Amino acid sequence: MKGLLIKDFRLLGVQKNFFFVILVVAVGISIISEDSLFMVGFLSLVMSLFTLSTISYDEFDNGNAFLFTLPISRGGYAVEKYCFGLLLGGGTWILAMLAAFMISGFKGTISVPNSLISGLAILPVMLLMQAVMIPFQLKFGSEKGKIAIISTVGVLFAIGYAVMEMMETIGVDMRNAVVYFSAMHISIISVILVLFSVVLLLISLRISISIMDKKEF
Amino acid sequence: MLKIEHLQKQYDGFSLDCSLEVKPGCITGLIGENGAGKSTTFKAVLGLIGMDGGSVTIFGKDLHSLTPSDKEKIGVVLSDSGFSEYLSIRDMIPILKNMYKKFDMSFFVEQAERMQLPMNKKIKEFSTGMKAKLKVLVAISYQAKLLIMDEPTAGLDVLARAELLDMIREFMEKDEERAIMISSHISSDLETLCDDIYMIHEGKIILHEDTDVLLSDYALLKVDKKQYETLDHDYLLRVKQESYGYCCLTNQRQYYMDNYPEIVIEKGTMDRIIMMMVRGKTE
Repeated sequence: MKGLLIKDFRLLGVQKNFFFVILVVAVGISIISEDSLFMVGFLSLVMSLFTLSTISYDEFDNGNAFLFTLPISRGGYAVEKYCFGLLLGGGTWILAMLAAFMISGFKGTISVPNSLISGLAILPVMLLMQAVMIPFQLKFGSEKGKIAIISTVGVLFAIGYAVMEMMETIGVDMRNAVVYFSAMHISIISVILVLFSVVLLLISLRISISIMDKKEF
Repeated sequence: MLKIEHLQKQYDGFSLDCSLEVKPGCITGLIGENGAGKSTTFKAVLGLIGMDGGSVTIFGKDLHSLTPSDKEKIGVVLSDSGFSEYLSIRDMIPILKNMYKKFDMSFFVEQAERMQLPMNKKIKEFSTGMKAKLKVLVAISYQAKLLIMDEPTAGLDVLARAELLDMIREFMEKDEERAIMISSHISSDLETLCDDIYMIHEGKIILHEDTDVLLSDYALLKVDKKQYETLDHDYLLRVKQESYGYCCLTNQRQYYMDNYPEIVIEKGTMDRIIMMMVRGKTE
């Protein structure tokens, strides 16, 4: 696991110029605009998605065949990808939050509770993205993976819409649920969403492990 | 060390059924033409593809019950795969250090310097020879007990091949319990390196012999039609019709030399034996 993490961090180094540009853009926008938290969301999401790039790097030139002769298990590989995503996304989130506070502090627009809540809201988005995208990337690879994700999201929206329509025809008003949620405090909603995302991430990990177990190289 | 019993794998138009054994202290070669089933056998032994039947035992354990720490004792070289080429040797060192408890960093660095492999260059910028040397160097750098090498000399010139084979020999000399399973389409590499050789054709093992026996007792008899009719056919493994008559493969060279001094007998080389085993007909 540690060896794989080191490998992925070394691969991250390959794209250091790209990340430097991203960092400059994020800090620049945060300084110029009112919203210092922009960079928290932007950087956390971009960095956590680098997990997908490492999967592509691993697959490139039939690299997986050699990779799985190393002393690692297939399940261990899947777990490592999630850990790497969380370390990278989580680490970036913490650093970006600190940087956002500092920038806000300089500008004198700091409001710690509000910023924390807004920052917290980014976490479930990051976790959900990983939960959805990692299994697709592992199963279909980078090119087919994108098509598969778009198709799945489309199907999910269609199912969601159909369910809403069905509920309305049988007399259940879904707007009540929305009203119920909006009555809650945003921090409670954020915590619920983070917990919900963690559960989804664990389910996604289970799926990824079974995808890896069945793969042939 | 490694035992394969009726390993089966079916693809469209190809069926593998392979049995072989690699004993401690031995270098066992697997030879065969492209598409004969060498790489499929290697991939199955390494657990990279599923098996449709049969069993693979490594260090006395079933392949599927091998743990990552068992895998630390196996060194692997694949001709078509390796470490991500976006990494450099300097990047690889901490990875190997954390993957293999017995990784010998000083040996690795020393050998890399001796072979003039650049430490900071990305592997994708290496020449074919450099890449091949690096793959073998990685496999022998953590005191593995078993090396599994699929075409480690593919695409190399004579000098680079000789250097690589020397590395493999040195590795074997350090511990007599070590073993190697190696494939190559360059038969002369295997002739000088292997203790025994398996020949694979259309997914089946068609010959298994000690290399010494193969080179000393196997021979090609070149006979005309009349000589062929008087020849003792009991020890002919394969026969092929030629413009001059028949070319016959035997594993009893001395017998024919003693009893048929008038016929042309040529010493068996690996290439000729393969050619006859594949193209010739059984008596």
